[in-house]
Amino acid sequence: MPDATPLPKRKPRAARRRPHFNTPLGRATLQALAVVGFFALWELGVRMGWISAFLVGSPFGIFAVGYKMIASGELLSDTWFTLFEAILGFVIGTIVGSLMGLALWYSVFVARLVEPFIVAINSVPKIALAPIVVLWFGTGLVSKVALSVSLTAIVALIAAYQAAKDADVDLQSLLISMGADKHQVFFKAVVPSTLPSIIATFRINIGFGLVGAVVGEFISSQRGLGHLIYTASSLYDLNTVWVGLFTLMIMGFVLYYVIDMIERTSLPWKQSNTAHQVQV
Amino acid sequence: MQSPPVQLSVRNIRKSFSGKAGEIAVLDDLSFGINERDFVSIIGPSGCGKTTIFNIIAGLLEPDSGTMQYRGTEIESLRGRVGYMMQKDLLFPWRTVLGNVLLGLETRGIDRAEAEGKAREYLKGFGLSGFENAYPNTLSGGMRQRVALIRTLIMDPDILLLDEPFSALDYQTRLYLEGVLKDAVETYNKTVILVTHDIDEAVALSKRVIVLSGRPARVKIVHDIDLSATSPITARSDTRFSGYFHALCAELDIQTEKTA
Repeated sequence: MPDATPLPKRKPRAARRRPHFNTPLGRATLQALAVVGFFALWELGVRMGWISAFLVGSPFGIFAVGYKMIASGELLSDTWFTLFEAILGFVIGTIVGSLMGLALWYSVFVARLVEPFIVAINSVPKIALAPIVVLWFGTGLVSKVALSVSLTAIVALIAAYQAAKDADVDLQSLLISMGADKHQVFFKAVVPSTLPSIIATFRINIGFGLVGAVVGEFISSQRGLGHLIYTASSLYDLNTVWVGLFTLMIMGFVLYYVIDMIERTSLPWKQSNTAHQVQV
Repeated sequence: MQSPPVQLSVRNIRKSFSGKAGEIAVLDDLSFGINERDFVSIIGPSGCGKTTIFNIIAGLLEPDSGTMQYRGTEIESLRGRVGYMMQKDLLFPWRTVLGNVLLGLETRGIDRAEAEGKAREYLKGFGLSGFENAYPNTLSGGMRQRVALIRTLIMDPDILLLDEPFSALDYQTRLYLEGVLKDAVETYNKTVILVTHDIDEAVALSKRVIVLSGRPARVKIVHDIDLSATSPITARSDTRFSGYFHALCAELDIQTEKTA
């Protein structure tokens, strides 16, 4: 007879207890230690001459530059500028893209007709459009927003269209049997069932919004974090480059959690029960 | 006893679907009549096209040929006039219990306040007070199907089309909901067509049972069920119950006695 799968033996209670670090506070402590350790090693490397401060900058240098730029208000103004471009591009792109994707549900004929064009547009790296976008929309705010829109709209369009196609046919049939017309089916069954997919694109698209803004600023601009990073790196001012990068990182980080909050509060019926997580 | 007038009559319906293996005839010259305040169960082998019949009556599918008459008038379908309930409760997950119950009334454009008052009354009648604002994913299967039943009844449909509404539920819940259904049908004077796999359920609930043949479906025989029981549970203890049960099994070619 083949060996049966051995049953798990009962471990003593102490061994089964979770490690102390696996608590919110414990995890935060470990994360903070990792960050501090990383910067300490970096600073040490620069001081000991293992790495070149000229090429990588140094934490203390970054801190000094950052402090100066915050005090002068320069950093804040660049941050607002880039944030504004990114959010504007994200909002316009998401709305326009989602509406277009949803509208395709109305006509299977039009949807099939335009599908290859959507795929073609999607396969172009939108960043490659940046020079033309600047030519068309100038070096100001509009070109950055346009670039962000070109990145985000297509993602929202594809997600919304796919979700509308996948909307539960039985729910639609039920409505039709109740005497609902096409508009009622669209607004009562299709649109609500696409919302989770559309909201799921927010996470990706907020990042794309930032990419559009920053790349737009790289190409040509007088303001913004992209401008800051680009000009500083051409002057080999690595500390300033890092200030710009870390500010972008913090911005992305905050936006991520804002989106996360929107996601959780906008779909109360989708509350997942985290208590059901499997322990392996 | 004079038989009650015919409410819906289905005449010579044919429907076939094109599949990989060519045309598949699902309904072949199907005809039957449903009387006023009738409770008819349709039973038949799996895949014989019972759901297709419902989809045609509800106006979700068009038959290849055949006609339907409603109270003597030729009709295209009963779209908007039927209460369709399926095996899946099909509650809209983003709507609360109240929102789901209101769905049909909204579709008809009935005044919100009036509709809400009616919905709360129905929910109370079916013991769901206090769950108005709950989302479907927090309810048990039995409660969800009860909400679906209310959603169906509140529209005051001419005919209820029930497509195995209880088959996904456990036996106790099913017995309970059969009782709820039977009471509701009496209270609101509804005509019901029930598609089921469950011969037991068909006998306990129906006035008549239509047995369909295998695909393509035709009416094999119609059995009158003459149980005067007041509830589906007492119906099961009627002495004639097992007689009907075995007769229907025989029609479906299910062996109920050992023959050796």
